[in-house]
Amino acid sequence: MSASEMSFEEMQEEIRNQLEKLQIEEDSLQEEMSTIMNQAPFLNEKIKSLKKLVPALKIIEHDAVGLVNTINDISDSSEKISGKIRLLDEARSRVQECQSRVCDLIDLEICSQGVQAAILDSDYEKGAAHVHRFLSMDQSLLQKTANDVENISNTLKSVRTLQDATSQLRALVEHKFNEAVRNEDLVSIERFFKIFPLLGIHEVGITEFCTYLRGKVSLTAEKNLKTAITTPISDKRYNIIFADTLTLLFEGLAKVIDIHQPLLETYYGPGRLFSAVNILQKECDVQVRRIFNEWMKCRQINKKMQQISEISRIGPNSSFSKLERIDPKDLDILIGEITFMHYRSELYIRFIQRKVMADIEIGILDSQKKEECINAFSQALNNSELTQLKHELLSHYLRLEQYFMEESINKAVAMDSVDSSQQTSSMVDDTFFIVRKCIRRSISSGNLDGICAIINTACRVLENDFCDVLRSKLRQGYPSGYLDLTQAYNVLQSSIQQGRLQSGDTEQSRTAFIVALNNADSCIEYVDALCEGVLKEIENALPGMNSNEHGKLESCLSGLSSVTSNLKEIIEYGIQQLRSSVIKPRVNPWVDAFLNISHQFTEEELSVYEAGETFVQTLIMNLESLLSSFKDMLTVANYDAFVGALTTEVTQRLEKVILKSSFNGLGGLILDKEVRSLASYITAATSWSVRDKFARLTQIATVLNLEQVSEIADYWGNHDGALTWRLTPSELRSFLLLRTDFKPDDVKRLKL
Amino acid sequence: MDDYKFLFKVVLVGNAGVGKTCLVRRFTQGLFPPGQGATIGVDFMIKTVEVDNEKVKLQIWDTAGQERFRSITQSYYRSAHALILVYDISCQPTFDCLPDWLREIEEYANSKVLRVLVGNKIDREDREIPTHVGEEFAERNNMYFLETSAKEAENVETLFIQIAVDLIKQARNRDVPKYDDTTTIEDRTTSIGNKLLQ
Ligand SMILES: Nc1nc2c(ncn2[C@@H]2O[C@H](COP(=O)(O)OP(=O)(O)O)[C@@H](O)[C@H]2O)c(=O)[nH]1
Ligand SMILES: [Mg+2]
Repeated sequence: MSASEMSFEEMQEEIRNQLEKLQIEEDSLQEEMSTIMNQAPFLNEKIKSLKKLVPALKIIEHDAVGLVNTINDISDSSEKISGKIRLLDEARSRVQECQSRVCDLIDLEICSQGVQAAILDSDYEKGAAHVHRFLSMDQSLLQKTANDVENISNTLKSVRTLQDATSQLRALVEHKFNEAVRNEDLVSIERFFKIFPLLGIHEVGITEFCTYLRGKVSLTAEKNLKTAITTPISDKRYNIIFADTLTLLFEGLAKVIDIHQPLLETYYGPGRLFSAVNILQKECDVQVRRIFNEWMKCRQINKKMQQISEISRIGPNSSFSKLERIDPKDLDILIGEITFMHYRSELYIRFIQRKVMADIEIGILDSQKKEECINAFSQALNNSELTQLKHELLSHYLRLEQYFMEESINKAVAMDSVDSSQQTSSMVDDTFFIVRKCIRRSISSGNLDGICAIINTACRVLENDFCDVLRSKLRQGYPSGYLDLTQAYNVLQSSIQQGRLQSGDTEQSRTAFIVALNNADSCIEYVDALCEGVLKEIENALPGMNSNEHGKLESCLSGLSSVTSNLKEIIEYGIQQLRSSVIKPRVNPWVDAFLNISHQFTEEELSVYEAGETFVQTLIMNLESLLSSFKDMLTVANYDAFVGALTTEVTQRLEKVILKSSFNGLGGLILDKEVRSLASYITAATSWSVRDKFARLTQIATVLNLEQVSEIADYWGNHDGALTWRLTPSELRSFLLLRTDFKPDDVKRLKL
Repeated sequence: MDDYKFLFKVVLVGNAGVGKTCLVRRFTQGLFPPGQGATIGVDFMIKTVEVDNEKVKLQIWDTAGQERFRSITQSYYRSAHALILVYDISCQPTFDCLPDWLREIEEYANSKVLRVLVGNKIDREDREIPTHVGEEFAERNNMYFLETSAKEAENVETLFIQIAVDLIKQARNRDVPKYDDTTTIEDRTTSIGNKLLQ
């Protein structure tokens, strides 16, 4: 077939295709046209019926114009009517006003006559009711009315009478109230308390009444404090007696507020609790300060704070200093008392906040006034002695708790002991027990800032002091020893198992090293658990946290993750130490034995080699003894890391010795087999995948096991069978060149 | 949303009333708050800024200046990447306290923390601390120096952005690998060893 024939046929094909397309198009056009045609009769029908509508529409238009005119007329007349109604309304309201003025005048008369009589009768309720009626009248309007009526002097006289009566009654009631207070006449106290608002002196009433309540609170509080101070040490509440006293004060105040709030609301109206609480708060402040001062004195807080700050200035480990170190245990109870005191203060503050806010909410409706009121209240509360002292308590608590944590952890480290049945030592459990305890205690203070500060402290102590201890233990190194290796590990292992650790410095250092490494690993788990547990506990303790507070907390907790990364670094450092002092010195000679074997086998030599103990069998046996000596000593994760380091070392060394050897086809075959069995041995030894670490070695073995140089094409390139190579082309060439039966020229000519 | 490349913690310290809270509010919310109460404990705010097309999340900790909050605020120094020490240019005592603040920073903060001295309230007419006095103090103590006004929004943005820029630079320098994968493992061991032993 020639080229032109080809193209003719192609053209023909093309033309046929075009024709087909045109035919399809024609068909569809035809179809569309017939649909349109079909619709034509319907459309005609519609046009006809629309034409019939035109006359009807004309009639409607005419009617609509008429309607518009009518509506305009109606609107005009209603405009006129509504003007009249407006006038009527005005007139009516004038009449009402007039009526109310008349009423006022009549009442004014009645009140002015009644009030004097009531005062003379000592019927203060009645008198106050008259005054109340008088005060509810618009005073300026009253003045105007007086000008309007004929009987000017009469009206003015009544006003004056009532004004006089008001101030007379005010003074009287205040006097009577104070008298009742002096006589402890509870009935009269309540009686006159209710009269103040009728006389329009709400604030005076609240001040008088709350001052009275203040006095009562003060008496009880003083008695309680006296009892507290004289409590004997033998008393079982001695250690928390100040927390108890504080609790009594708060409970007393809360009761006073709870009892009197309904009274206040009924006779004074809502929105006035703020004034009452303000006065009571003054007493609260006085009493809290007293309790606090006595507590400081009794518990020698200043002395303790001074000692603590001096100790921290000198440094934690100066056991030589003459300073009297406080045993953290002795602070335990005191810290408990402070958290309790702080928590109680926090609760009381929340209580009055809740009460007052709710009262403002229903009592003050104007939103601007409401905001002002809320601000004034918050300001007053924030500046109150109670709040200041709460902050001071928290501050003392934090100093003591921080000291407690540091010292206790120092102690745990100093008293560290290894139990031969454990992979870790006591300091890990002890340290995390302490950290947990301190954080829990901070949670019980109920203050997020306090909790965050303790979490920050925990991060600092763990990251600095504690990690430093682990680090310095690993820095001592792992003595590789002079014994024959298998023997050495057996000795070490059996001595650990039997708890005989004193038999040699070397063994002790080895144990210390391994334990430190395991401690670091177990700390990682502890930190994770701590993070999770603490977050839940805090969320339970402070259910109302907003997103900002959450962010604050999470940011502090994330400090613990930097502890984890520190620990991981420490472990990595330890494993590298083991690699250079344990793995390398053993593994290198084992692998180097590869050089003593010729890898140019004849068939006969091969069967002899395979009948005896092969290189890889010896290697695996040696590795087995090394690994088994570490398997029980190390934690699972550490053992995996150890196997990982061992694998890296073996594969890299093997690669090196392979490069120094030369192979024939059978030699390559054997190598491939041996690499496979080595890989499967190590894979079985660990829970990690070591495939990646074997990738290069496996590929080297594949290269050396080729039948011919050209076979590399099966593995190299962009086709499905190709490998993801870890060897560079030049590395691949140099391995191919180790095969004595491959021609160097063939290798060089390979296109890679 | 949370796709930032860097996260830095910035802590503001200094006497109560020098304007730390106002600086933070100006920067994070763009406003000068009217008569808010003194800060209690620590406040926490976040602002993400863009520097060199990189998103940088700044976690800003605004501390209370009073003594009784010290045990709370001190616990934040250690993890800070930058510390801003603020005084009020119209109030000599706030400047006189700076050495005390520096002692605290020395004691609790990381020695490599970026430290910035800020003289705030330059909008005020009654200046007591001339600029060069602040500058000299900062120089003597190895700190950056800047004068600001939270009220007039002067230098506030610059302050925080400059801190972000510097911290990025620091972080990048630290990230430059000391060894690469082709060097042998022995080198790697010593490099880790050195880090731990230093
Ligand atoms: N004139 C002026 N006043 C400021 C400035 N910054 C803050 N203030 C005022 O200083 C007072 C204390 O500010 P604040 O931010 O609460 O100080 P902090 O205690 O350091 O947080 C407030 O009354 C602010 O209005 C400023 O740049 N200029
Ligand atoms: Mg502030």
